[in-house]
Formats: sequence, structure tokens, C-alpha cells
Amino acid sequence: MTHIQISPGAVVSGDDRSVTERSGPEGGAPPDGGKPPGRRENLAGYLFMSPWIAGFLFLIAGPMVFSLYLSFTEYNLFEAPRWIGLQNFTDMFADPRWRQSVKVTSWYVLIGTPVKLAAALAVAMLLAQKRWGQSFYRAAFYAPSLIGASVSAAIVWRALFSDDAIVDRTQKVFGFEVGGWIGDPSMIIYALIALTVWQFGAPMVIFLAGLKQVPRELYEAAEVDGAGPWRRFFHITLPMISPVLFFNVLLETIHSFQIFGSAYIVSNGSCGPADATLVYTCYLYEQGFVNSRMGFASAMGWLLLVAVGLVTAVLFWSQKRWVHYEEGGR
Amino acid sequence: MSRNNGMDRRQLLKLAGLSAAGLGLTAAGCGSGSGGSGGPVTIRHSWWGADDRAKKVQQCVGLFEKKHPKIKVKTDFQQYPDFWKKFNTQAAGGNPPDVIQNAVTFLRKYEAKNVLLDLSPQVEKGNLDLGGFRAGLEKFAEIDGKLLGVPVGSNSMALVIDEKVYEKAGITPEIGWTWDDWLAGMQKIRSGQKIAGDAGPHGVMYLYDLILRQNGKAFFTEDGMGFGEAELLPYWTEALERVKAGLYADPNKVEQIKPASATAKGLSAGEFTWDNFSVRYSAEGKSSYGLAPIPSTDGKKTGQYLGSLMLSGTARTKHPAEVATFISFMTHDPEVARIMGYDRGVPATTAQFEAFQPTDAPSKAIAAYETSIADAGVLEPITPHPAGADVIEAAFLRIGADLALGKTSPKDSVKQFFSEAKTALAAN
Repeated sequence: MTHIQISPGAVVSGDDRSVTERSGPEGGAPPDGGKPPGRRENLAGYLFMSPWIAGFLFLIAGPMVFSLYLSFTEYNLFEAPRWIGLQNFTDMFADPRWRQSVKVTSWYVLIGTPVKLAAALAVAMLLAQKRWGQSFYRAAFYAPSLIGASVSAAIVWRALFSDDAIVDRTQKVFGFEVGGWIGDPSMIIYALIALTVWQFGAPMVIFLAGLKQVPRELYEAAEVDGAGPWRRFFHITLPMISPVLFFNVLLETIHSFQIFGSAYIVSNGSCGPADATLVYTCYLYEQGFVNSRMGFASAMGWLLLVAVGLVTAVLFWSQKRWVHYEEGGR
Repeated sequence: MSRNNGMDRRQLLKLAGLSAAGLGLTAAGCGSGSGGSGGPVTIRHSWWGADDRAKKVQQCVGLFEKKHPKIKVKTDFQQYPDFWKKFNTQAAGGNPPDVIQNAVTFLRKYEAKNVLLDLSPQVEKGNLDLGGFRAGLEKFAEIDGKLLGVPVGSNSMALVIDEKVYEKAGITPEIGWTWDDWLAGMQKIRSGQKIAGDAGPHGVMYLYDLILRQNGKAFFTEDGMGFGEAELLPYWTEALERVKAGLYADPNKVEQIKPASATAKGLSAGEFTWDNFSVRYSAEGKSSYGLAPIPSTDGKKTGQYLGSLMLSGTARTKHPAEVATFISFMTHDPEVARIMGYDRGVPATTAQFEAFQPTDAPSKAIAAYETSIADAGVLEPITPHPAGADVIEAAFLRIGADLALGKTSPKDSVKQFFSEAKTALAAN
């Protein structure tokens, strides 16, 4: 017991020292002489952390471990879980609706994420220029991402893209007789993608910060050498903001995989029509809470975690090729 | 400073201890009160429905609390699908509401999981009155000798029609009309008024059940499916043809106006649904709506039965006597009938049936419809619904709609339906 209490303190103090050594002005001794913090202080630290630790153990770690166990069982909420090994996973691959959910989600991630980021970057570049009323425009373009995730926005979306609603009528003016998007299995996914693209505020703000960091001299020098706007964009802007771009790609990809609320509401809780908006989490929810197959739903959840982990790993691996950090960084 | 802190802490601990003890005492006080000593008891009641049902139920609860001052009722309601999601979670967590609104589709499912309260001991104790129920409703929710629910109202499948469209086409549906008559009517409406005859009935499980019953089968047996691919394939193949021919409403448009009804929104001249739902049509639509009888194959047997919403207790309740008292009140008190009207169907007991004399047109139509089918003698006993029936019903509706949208062939749709039904029966 004593040993366990002391050892984390020792590790912390060791870390402290190395940090001060690296960052201290002359690499001198740390200000408190490097004395490890007292046992009392450690205890107080843990005590203050205890609500968080308890929350983590009981609300996150515990349920996660339990759901990992459940993913190998058949569990209908009422009877005790029955161990069935890998059955849930084999059932999943044999299930056409599960395959459909993978297809819909992949499509949503592959189309939605790049378009959203392109929109965010384009608007960020416009807003980076100095002009009158700049802060108003920034706030106006950011606003949708504040309300975009809400239920009401999804309901409004449903109304906009319904039969004979504003989108349908506008289409007709231009001679496209597509009809409402909401009832059309081949169109509704694009209504969802439009909804996510519309919420580009958060990546836009991050892009804006990145763009501000690009040194003006680079553009001036390029202009002197006769480089046009496209050349400047591809050879200065993009490489210079590539770390920010990487961050946004990573975040938005992970985020897109977890889409649920908008798909559920725009489709009126059906994830349809014809399973056209049956995103992965929607099917997971249906299996768990409607069909009472909690084991199957847990297995789906874990597979999603692994898939997102893999995609993240691939993105990290790929950054060597296209993300440029300033000298001194990696 | 540290010593000061220590003292403060100690004082704080003392204080905390005292208040905890205080809480304990209050809790103990509550406990003894809700026990046998006659203090107030609180039971929880939840149901599904829209806002206006909530207002009506709340009014009834107020009345109940006035007549039974020692019982308090806490209420809660959701829309139909959300209701069961929440109930599942509550029941699995061991904390379901004491009294719930229920339907036949869920009886076996929750009976198998020991969630529902057997009310028969309460009948013997005199807390629940089973007298005075209308014919066909006395033993509605009895399964394996257990009384798992008490009906609050009865309803039956009907064909809701847009009266103006039918009138213009010169069609008067009458008891004894056949499916061929119905089809001829739809064709006449289509060619004369360029409107679909039906919203598309191929996903409505309860209608298909009637069609199967007209042919000597049923949708469900006690523990499985009462029909096979051989029956469903021609039915769905024909449905797809009728969608293409414009006899059934454009599924693309039906999808977009949900949760509103296709007939009320002018997409079709009629649709099959429960008769008590017809109250919503005049609110949603612009035309006038009526109830037409169910067509049959031979002009006689419609396969109809009385369906019903019911009230059930849950097995974990600590207050079965109060639960029974509340259910008894809701099913027998004449004042409740005057408040609820036909919202949950035609009242199940004669006392309540006589207490409410409808004055509005939709309620009058429902009363006339139920009287007419009772007089025609077409009513039969209901067929059982196995555990998992709710999931199968949802799958039938979903796959039926997908089929109409032309995304899958009838053959694949039928296969998919039976595969999902099999999974649902195994999982529940």
C-alpha cells in the first residue's frame, strides 16, 4: 500500500525535473530544489481527483469492459447474458442490413468530410482578409455549427428538403424535377451531407488560426517571382497549414463515423427510406434498444472503435508524406 | 493554518454525519408511511400517445387522487416507439413504472421476462373489478391463467376513406363488399380523379393478419409465424405492381409527409388503420373522412376482432393493491369515460360505454362503425402474438415500404422479412 502511494509521486517528481531541466533558462536546478512532493500532498491530489477517477471507473472504464464481455454474448436485457463466442461478429457479416450500414457510413465519411473541410478552408480564406465587418461575418459563418448539432436544425432540414418544400421548388425553377430528397433513397444521404457541410464553423475557426500563422513575406516573395493565386495556394498556403489541416481531417473523420442524431431525426426515426440513412450507429441503436439485442449492439460498438482506430492509425502514418512541420518540429 | 483546516474539516464531517442521519430518519419515516400504516402511497403510471391524450389522462389522475387521497399517481408519457425503448431500459434496470399502457403485441414478450404483474389475486381481494366488461373483452389479456392486463377500450381495423373522393367516384362501400369490389373502386378513382386509391396497405401487419384469417390462417401462432413465403410473395409482388400502376400512393411522397397520414394529406383516397385513429384525420386534413368496412374474399368473413389498449401492472411494484385500485378506477369510473372519449378506443365496460355519448362527428362515426360490425356478426377471437411480435411488426412495415420504393425485389424482401422474423423470435 505504502509502496503504491509513493511510486506515482516519485514518477511525477522525476518528470518535473526533466521538464524543468529542458525548459529552464540555464538548465539550472529546479526552484524547489527537486524535493519530491510530500505524501500528504500526493494524497490531497488524489483526493481532489477522486470524483473524476470514480466517474471514469464507474461511468467509462467499467461499462466499456462490460460491453466488451457482452459483445461475446447473447443478451436481451432481461435474461442473464449467454456466452456465444464470436457468433455476434459472424452474424454481423452475414447481415445485409449491417453491410448496408457500413456502406452508408463509409459514403457519408468519404464524401462529407472532404467537402466540409473544403468549405471550411474556403470560407476561412475569405474571412482571413481584412475587410469591413469582418467579425460579424466570422460570427455569422460560425453560428450554424453552434446550432447545427441540435434536434431543431435537423427538423428544419427535413422540412427544407421535403417534397414541394423550398429545395424542391428551387430545383424546379432550374428545370430539375427530382422531387423532395427526404423520400428518395438515392438523394436523402446528400441532404445529410449538406447538413454536416453546413456546420463547418469549428474547422473553419481552426483554419483561420492556421492561416494567420503563415508569414506574409512568403506571399510577397512569390508574387515578386510572378506566382499566381493558385500557385501561391498550392505551394505556400497548403503546405504551411498542413499540420492544421491534418488536425482537422483527423477530428472530422472521427466525428463523421459517429453520426447519429441528424440521420435519426431527418429520417423521422426510421433511418430510411429503404435504409438509405441507416448509418452505423443508427443500426446499433436499433439492434440494442428496439430489438433488445444488446450483445450484438456491443459487438457493433467495439468493431466501430477498432475501425476508427485503424483509420486514425492510417492517417497518422500518412502524415509523413504530406504534413510539413516547421524546422525544429518533427 | 493546517490545524485550522483540520478543525474545519472535522466540523464539516460532523455536520455531514448529522445531516446524513437526518436523511436516514426521513427516509425511514417515508418507509413506514408507505407501508401498512395507511400513509400516502405513490405509484407511477406511464403511457404512449400525443399531448391531448396526456391532458386527458392527467385529468383522470386528478379525479382519482381526489377520490383516493391516500394514493398519489406520478405520470409520464412518450410517443409510441420511444415509450417502449424507455420501458425496456427501465424494466431491465428493475425500475419500471407501476402501471403502463399496454397492447397485445407485447403481452407474451414481457410475460416471458416476468415483467408483468398477475392481477388475478387482486381480483379475488376485491381491489380490481372485472364485472361489466363488454362482450369479447372479459378475458382479453389472460395468458396461461394469468391476468396480465385490463382493456380500457376496444378498437377494430377499418378502412378510412376520403368521403368526397368516394362520392365523386360514385362508390358506396358496404358490409359484404369484396377485395375485387375494392380494387375496381380504386381503379375508378385513379382513372377519374388521378389520385391513388390507397396509401399502400402492404406494410400494415394488422391488415395482412385479417387477409390471412379470411383464408383460414393467421399472422402469428402462439410461438411463431402463421404463414410462409408462399403466401407473402404473391401479396407483395401484386403490391409493387399496384404502386407502379398508381393505385397505391407514391411511396416517395408518403415517406416525406410522415408522421402525417397519406389520406389526410390528399395522397390517397383511403387507407387501412384502427378505427379510433380516425379522430386525427379531420384535424390533419381538409376533406371529410368516414369509416368503411373491411373487404373480404367471400363477402362474409372479414377476419376482424376487437383489438384493445389495456392497462397492466408491473411485477416489481411494491403496491399491487393500489395498482389494481387505479386500474379498476380507470376502467369503470363513468367520469373517466366522459374525459377520455374514444381516444383509446370505445370504452371497454358498459358503465363507461353508456357514460360517454359522442357528439362530435368522428366519435359518432366510430360508435356507428363498431355497432355495425358487431351487428354483422363478423367479430372473431383475437389470435395470439408471440414474444418478438413488436419487432416483427416493425420489420414488416419497414420492408414493405422499402419494397414499394423499388429498392429490393419482392423475392428478396420476402426473404429478408422471414430472416428478420426468425432472429426476432429467437432473441425475445
